[in-house]
Amino acid sequence: MSEITLAGLEKRYGDTLAVEDVSVTIDDGELLCLLGPSGSGKSTTLRMLAGLETPTDGEIRIGDEDVTDRPAYERTTATVFQDWALFPHKTVLENVAFGLKMQGIGKSERRKQAREMLERVRMGEYADDDPMNLSGGQKQRVALARSLAVNPDVLLLDEPLSNLDKRLSEDMQIELREIHAELEETFVHVTHDQDEAFTLADRIGIMADGNLVQVGEPNEVYENPKNRFIEGFLGDTNFVAGEVERTTTESIHVETELGREVDLPTTGDADALAEGESVALSLRPEVLSIESTDVAGSDGNAEGEQATPVRTDGSTTNAVVGTVENVLYRGSTIRYSVAVEDTSVFVERTVADSGAFDAGDEIRISWDGADVLAFRDDGSRVDL
Amino acid sequence: MHRERLENALFRTGYLAILTFMLLPLAVVVVTSFAESGNLAFPPENYSLVHYRAFFEEMRWLSAFDNSLLVGVGTTITATTLGVTAAFGHEIDDGRAGQVLAPLVLIPLLIPPIILGISMRVYFVRAGFEASYLSIILAHTLWATPLVYFVMRSVFSRFDWQLLDAAKDLGAGPIRSFVYAVLPNVKHGIFVGALLAFIISLQEFVMALFLSSRSTETIPVVAWTEIRQSLDPMVSVVSTFLIIISLIAIVIATIATNLDWLSKQLS
Repeated sequence: MSEITLAGLEKRYGDTLAVEDVSVTIDDGELLCLLGPSGSGKSTTLRMLAGLETPTDGEIRIGDEDVTDRPAYERTTATVFQDWALFPHKTVLENVAFGLKMQGIGKSERRKQAREMLERVRMGEYADDDPMNLSGGQKQRVALARSLAVNPDVLLLDEPLSNLDKRLSEDMQIELREIHAELEETFVHVTHDQDEAFTLADRIGIMADGNLVQVGEPNEVYENPKNRFIEGFLGDTNFVAGEVERTTTESIHVETELGREVDLPTTGDADALAEGESVALSLRPEVLSIESTDVAGSDGNAEGEQATPVRTDGSTTNAVVGTVENVLYRGSTIRYSVAVEDTSVFVERTVADSGAFDAGDEIRISWDGADVLAFRDDGSRVDL
Repeated sequence: MHRERLENALFRTGYLAILTFMLLPLAVVVVTSFAESGNLAFPPENYSLVHYRAFFEEMRWLSAFDNSLLVGVGTTITATTLGVTAAFGHEIDDGRAGQVLAPLVLIPLLIPPIILGISMRVYFVRAGFEASYLSIILAHTLWATPLVYFVMRSVFSRFDWQLLDAAKDLGAGPIRSFVYAVLPNVKHGIFVGALLAFIISLQEFVMALFLSSRSTETIPVVAWTEIRQSLDPMVSVVSTFLIIISLIAIVIATIATNLDWLSKQLS
């Protein structure tokens, strides 16, 4: 059993609070990604799990044991470090065999096991090389083999892919997933890269300012963020400031800086927002559809901004008209920055979509009110 | 000639002239050690090995050599142990104690050795082991430790401390993680620090003069008392040996610190 429980974990360095409150239970065999910007305390949390830092408050349990005050060398965890930390004075094989040597396993046996582990990460032919002569991706594999060789209950990965180029990093993500599936061990992976987290994780834990803000499955945290920080951190979005004008039992009407009232359909508590309260609305580019005003105006409606189009399924959509300011080619997608009233909104199209726009074109941006998330001034999400 | 090259040539000539001028006394010492007469004169009228023969028959000089070696090795061991562990501890825990440590360690180097020598003589007499090897070793350690400490601080500042974390993470306790992960990567630095400690001890004179007796006197102490009686070429002979020992030490240090470079060249 290697279920991990972190309870009220805190780490203070003098006056600086690196980790304020981290509480989570990681299931046996789970791959949890701690995701957060630099300085959010995710690496410190991992180092406390490894036993390389002692928490100033809180408790760490691995399985049934309280390991809070147990040093790293007495824990059943193994860490893959960001810079891999391979021993420069040892060969690749000696590096991988080091943990087994510390466990008191005889020379021939540990060399045999280390060789097997190297074969597993496809580094067998480099056994006698100097690790300093390897490429980043190869060092990465050796570091992984070295940590796996001690057969840890928990494998801790501290941004091990952040020093690799994009392509290599993506290959390694897939390999890590495969190794995780094969070993059925608990993995805790720290990263600042959301794509990496979404690819790897069974669950994602999002950290900000020393706190674990939300833990959940990837699609859950993406679609159902707890607060504004998470919404902004996971992918790109447009935050539009507004003020609640009136609320009814079915919808909340928000006067926005788009120069247009936005309707938020509500199924829950109509009192979630008071009239006059200021809110930030999140319009993700993927919920925004765009079309040329020429097309929209073909039915004779020149003032599209005032219209409330009714879609074929009958749901109301919100829409605004703006002018394309900038066109940014991002490989497979094209990003348009569109000036709408006093603010600017960006929308995206895949290259394959027909009809590219140029700067200066007037376009209509529309969305389904149900796709819009609203956040209060304190960052908390409005439960619509 | 290009101006830059001219400037370079002038600088090198000047530098070489100063260096030669400063090193010439050493040549005088070596040459006079081969004099035949009993007076110290330069250049000597006739050359012979008579004083070298006398040196090996003179018990006082030979025992001084033994004493110097013993004190030097003792100082090297204690100063290196103290300096390396202090620098290591400072690196691991950079707290309030560490901030006080650096200036504190420096103090013995700032006090004139004559004052240290007198006060330590008084102190060791009270403690009951004056004129022993131990008292000289402790005095020299007081001087050599700060030097080892500062050499090791600089060595450790270039060390990748994640290696220590990695060793601990893989199950190595405090001692084994130091031995397996840190030591192999800083051994050149430790060697240089140890050599420095040995040379400091070998050439230190003032404190040794106050703290030694007839049976524990080191080479500089004997040289001083001999010169006060008569200025004969025996002093030159001893000095020549000291110069040779220092040169050997430097050569060993150079080879040791460049072993990696050497092995890369050879492979």
